[in-house]
Amino acid sequence: MNETAMQAFWFFGIFISLLFIIGVYCILATFNLLRALIGVEVLIKGATLLIILAGYLTGNTALAQAFVITLIVIEVVVMVVAGGVILWVFRHNGAIDARKLTDLKG
Amino acid sequence: MLSLFILLPFFCLIAVNLPVKGARRLAFWLTASLFVLQILAVLLHPSVFWGMKEDLFANFFAINFSVNNLSLVIFLTIGIVGLVSLIIGKYTLANRPDRFHFTNLLLTALIGMNALALLTDLFSMYVFIEVTALSSFILIAVQREKTALEGAFKYLIISTIASALMLSSVALILLVSGSTSFDVVSAALKASSGSVFVKLAVALFLCGPFIKSGLVPFHGWLPDAYSAAPSAVSVLLAGIITKVSGVYVLMKLVMSVFGFTPVIRDILMFAGALSIVFGALAAIGQKDFKRMLAYSSISQVGYIIIGLGCGTKLAIAGAALHFFNHAVFKSLLFTNAAVMEQKLGTVDMDKMGGLTSRMPFTGMTSLIAFLSTAGIPPLSGFWSKLLIVVALWTSGMHGYAAIALLASVLTLAYFLSMQRRVFFGKLRPGLEAVQEAGTGLVITQVALALVILGVGLGFPFMLKTLAPLKNILW
Repeated sequence: MNETAMQAFWFFGIFISLLFIIGVYCILATFNLLRALIGVEVLIKGATLLIILAGYLTGNTALAQAFVITLIVIEVVVMVVAGGVILWVFRHNGAIDARKLTDLKG
Repeated sequence: MLSLFILLPFFCLIAVNLPVKGARRLAFWLTASLFVLQILAVLLHPSVFWGMKEDLFANFFAINFSVNNLSLVIFLTIGIVGLVSLIIGKYTLANRPDRFHFTNLLLTALIGMNALALLTDLFSMYVFIEVTALSSFILIAVQREKTALEGAFKYLIISTIASALMLSSVALILLVSGSTSFDVVSAALKASSGSVFVKLAVALFLCGPFIKSGLVPFHGWLPDAYSAAPSAVSVLLAGIITKVSGVYVLMKLVMSVFGFTPVIRDILMFAGALSIVFGALAAIGQKDFKRMLAYSSISQVGYIIIGLGCGTKLAIAGAALHFFNHAVFKSLLFTNAAVMEQKLGTVDMDKMGGLTSRMPFTGMTSLIAFLSTAGIPPLSGFWSKLLIVVALWTSGMHGYAAIALLASVLTLAYFLSMQRRVFFGKLRPGLEAVQEAGTGLVITQVALALVILGVGLGFPFMLKTLAPLKNILW
């Protein structure tokens, strides 16, 4: 990579690492299952941005676009499955609080 | 026609969901025959099927498939464990719709795992890891029980974090090499091995398979997911899903992309040794039969990883053999757990005792499986552990070899305590009415026990005849 590409990388890198930090903090800090899911989502958004950046800097924009579109589809499926699990947790517990998920220990 | 490994399950999935009368009833037999076909295709290895190089599907989509000897072991393991899981599902899942969903998800997971064994591209691997993982989340919660949902959610969150890490690593690799296919990436990584990006990318990518295969210190989700899932799904998770999407991905990447650098070898060996010891120690204190098996899985996966980390040809052969062996004996033990869950309604070991007199087949097959896990000759587990320990010793890792040997004693300890509490001794009052499982489950147990005995006794002979084993070693 040349000098300008490096500069662009670090410029966007700050935002990407910010997204990662927000995502991890969100997962760790909350007891609400849906919020934890949003944290995961933010984390994946950081990764998506990194792929776009990599494609842009190396001139592989077509490849990066194909990856990102595939990624978005997968992400939606993950969210649907997670949403279904959370819905059933709510039906069993009447709450989506991680502190009430204490059946499995040891 | 390697793409048949992906296309056949796909068409099977479509066929059983066609709005035609009777399509649902065919689902079990169609899927079972698919698994049998896969097992046969591997066992008859140098046959016409493997010689057909023309692959219209792969050519059309410009995908590179490649098969090496390791993939053959993976295909064989997937076939056997999938078939066992399907049979257990048929006998233990009570609801007919649940059974149908189970079969569908099993086929989806099969597509994902077969593809993982074939692909040679980082991003495609990520896609199929997700396909496998997604079907396993739903499989865990397929009966929508409270505990199962909790296990599924923990697995989902942790596994998604692992995918995000892998994805960032793929992006960094794309930045360095401009491509994601194995050949290009491996060359680019070698050319710029000192760069910060490469180190970060390798470290991030290693985290993914470590989390997925439940190695210590990333094992938090594994006992919950294994013990909360229905037994048919536990078989699948312990036998292939975590191993293919975690351990096998790790093997493939280290062997053909990252290479055996000293740092990677140290990390692998250390994580392996830690998992072996921690898993065995944690298993000793368990009351829940399936939870104990889950911790035992962590310990046994540690053996595979330590063998991979050693990196010599013998060690990798041992790791591949242990991959297969562990899948077989852990499937047998989870089948035993399924029988107990069905007949006793519980898997709490404190509520059992002297069950061999009531369930002779279950008791005896479980004995064979645990002796094989502990590495007692002449059962199959002995040979794979022997290969790993010998390889570690000859490459100068005496400390790790000692850990691997001594942990076998720990394995023996927890399984002996389990056998004494569950199967041996006097029958516990209140269990007089317990009966042996139905014919289907008994046949499955005996067949798996025969595989363990057969591989163990016939190992020296099989080295020269059975294609997957022969090709890996020689």
